[in-house]
Amino acid sequence: MSLGSNSADTHVPRILIVDDDPDLLVVLADRLNDDGFEVSTARDGDQALRMMRSGWPDLLIVDMMMPRLDGLRLAREVKSQADLPIIVLSAIDAADSKADMLEEVAEDYVTKPYHYAELRARINRVLRRLGDRVPRQGLVLGPDLTLELHRRQAIVGDRTVHLTPTESRLLYALAANLDRTVPTDTLLTRGWAETDDADPSYVWVTMRRLRQKIEVDPDSPRYLLTVRGVGYSLVRDGRVRDG
Amino acid sequence: MDEPHPIDGRHIRGDRGILGGLSFRSRLTLALLFAALTPLLLYGVVAVVFSLTLLPPATRGLVDVLFVAMIAVGLLVLPIAMLSSAELLRPLRSVARSFERVPAGDLSSPAVVPGDDELARLAESHNRLAADFHHRSQQVGRMLEAIGAMSLADDSETLARRAERDAVRIFELIQSTVYLGPAAEIPAREAIPGEPKPLRAERRVGEEVIALLGWLPATSAWARADQDLFELFASQVAVALRNADLYAHVELQKARLVDLAAAKEDFLRGVSHNLQSPLTSIRAHAEQLGRDHPDRRLEIIAEQSDRLSRIVRQLMTVSRLESGAIKARSDVLSLGPRVRRACEALAASDVEFTLVDRSGGWLAVADADQLDQVLWAVLDNAVKHGRRTPVSVDIATDPDGSRLILTVVDQGPGVAAGDEARLFGRYQRGADGAGEGGSGLGLYVSRALCRMMGGDLILNAPSGRGASFSLLLPAEHVEEG
Repeated sequence: MSLGSNSADTHVPRILIVDDDPDLLVVLADRLNDDGFEVSTARDGDQALRMMRSGWPDLLIVDMMMPRLDGLRLAREVKSQADLPIIVLSAIDAADSKADMLEEVAEDYVTKPYHYAELRARINRVLRRLGDRVPRQGLVLGPDLTLELHRRQAIVGDRTVHLTPTESRLLYALAANLDRTVPTDTLLTRGWAETDDADPSYVWVTMRRLRQKIEVDPDSPRYLLTVRGVGYSLVRDGRVRDG
Repeated sequence: MDEPHPIDGRHIRGDRGILGGLSFRSRLTLALLFAALTPLLLYGVVAVVFSLTLLPPATRGLVDVLFVAMIAVGLLVLPIAMLSSAELLRPLRSVARSFERVPAGDLSSPAVVPGDDELARLAESHNRLAADFHHRSQQVGRMLEAIGAMSLADDSETLARRAERDAVRIFELIQSTVYLGPAAEIPAREAIPGEPKPLRAERRVGEEVIALLGWLPATSAWARADQDLFELFASQVAVALRNADLYAHVELQKARLVDLAAAKEDFLRGVSHNLQSPLTSIRAHAEQLGRDHPDRRLEIIAEQSDRLSRIVRQLMTVSRLESGAIKARSDVLSLGPRVRRACEALAASDVEFTLVDRSGGWLAVADADQLDQVLWAVLDNAVKHGRRTPVSVDIATDPDGSRLILTVVDQGPGVAAGDEARLFGRYQRGADGAGEGGSGLGLYVSRALCRMMGGDLILNAPSGRGASFSLLLPAEHVEEG
């Protein structure tokens, strides 16, 4: 694994699955165990919170509709305490307004019935970002750009622009390596799961679209710079880099 | 053509006689002079004639003295005449100034003319008129203020009570009541001399009548103009009450719709959860079992549970499309791999699929989840209505270069004449009966989703065998940058 994934390399990733369906818990926990993860399960949000008091997992997989503390409230509660990656696994359509709210606090959204290969690919992608640290209070890069990645938005001048989940993931990887060049291949593994069949052209086009959103003048970018043939870098204070 | 308008004050001119060019004050001065000097002149003429004919020539110097005296008196009378005319005109000026203030809106300073002559009476009558005008203008002001304060958000009870208080204040009444109901039930009241006078104004609103009733102090006057204003106020109250009723009704309906929409969303979430959760279990168990003991039957269980969950999802999407509660994300993606995966998901191993991908250098901009729904539905449609004939998919760029066009063609009987128009409607199935197993929603949902993603789904004109559909999607050119 590449950049910032040291923690994922050195220990078995711990996953906590929260779902009120015991069948799903058993089947999914078995498969993840087989694939080398350390898995624990909880039947509702309250139980999950109690379990997390004795130690944080590396990743949380939550269902949205659960008795007592539902997925949205659980995700908000967890995020208020730590920047723990969350994947939502729910029967509720990703286009639902409630799913939309959850996406603000979750890294990814997988719709039930899930395909294990796809869920596994998403888990891998999310775990790659372990070890990356980005301030939660908003990252001020210059007078006309502030990133609020936990809210999936950027403030450009006096406008607030909405970022897609993929765009936020790429910016998250770049922001964790501020002023350094992040190779295109690393960005590819951060933005997309293996099952997405993505290639470097996905990174190029998404970066160009991202620049249209966050740069005041996308033709002469000040924050999101291309290092030709290598990758991209996000720079503070709009310093212009040579080459 | 320059005929003066009779009502335009600037053009009203009486016959002003031979001295019409002079001001009124000059004419009055001349009149006074004329009145003062005429006897003197006559006296002088008589004295001169008399002295010339009857007095001895030695005394004629006296004539000169008389003449000079006449001129002196004449000169002395002129300023006196001027002063007198000014003095005589002063009350008139005061009345005129007061008149001039009326159009400017100043009704509070009366014209003061002492005495009991014609001018004083003119001033008094003007003052009365001005006071009346002032009173009426204040009444209209209070009325406009009261009308302005009538808010749609107030309920009719609050509006009616406030209108009663306003009527008392505006028309200086003892008491006022707003009555709403059938005309026959409005209590009739008789005027009794010496008792407070009953007032009444009513307006019909639909089947009912809104009546504004009031009691005027016995000592107060009530003119025609007062009644007109009272009726005007009553009609405004009626309009406000009617509007408040309609507004309350609309608000109630709106709240009901919002509640219903929220209840519907909750219901759909519940249904979706309750249907998809067991399907998830079935699928996961079948997949797990299949891993340990590979068996085609387990694959079929997984495939069919997938199919069922896609149909459930389609139903949910229709409902969300109708309520407008659906949004598309825009991610960049390559269409080829997604088409391949959709073909696999159809689990139609007996149908031959071919894919020609000519999208080199271009990526589509779409919502991956929704695009998968569309591809599955369009391909499923081609398999079913093409009667399991080979299905070919072609991906190309639009000649303009800003869109990708994905065309799906089957070798079946094609779209029957007359079916084209209703093909994209809800719950529509082809006349061939091949779609019996489907929801009849596939093309409807697919077109709506494509349009939401900035693209479209169209039926191509028939060319040879089969039906041909094209999916148009926004695209981005691939280059590092």
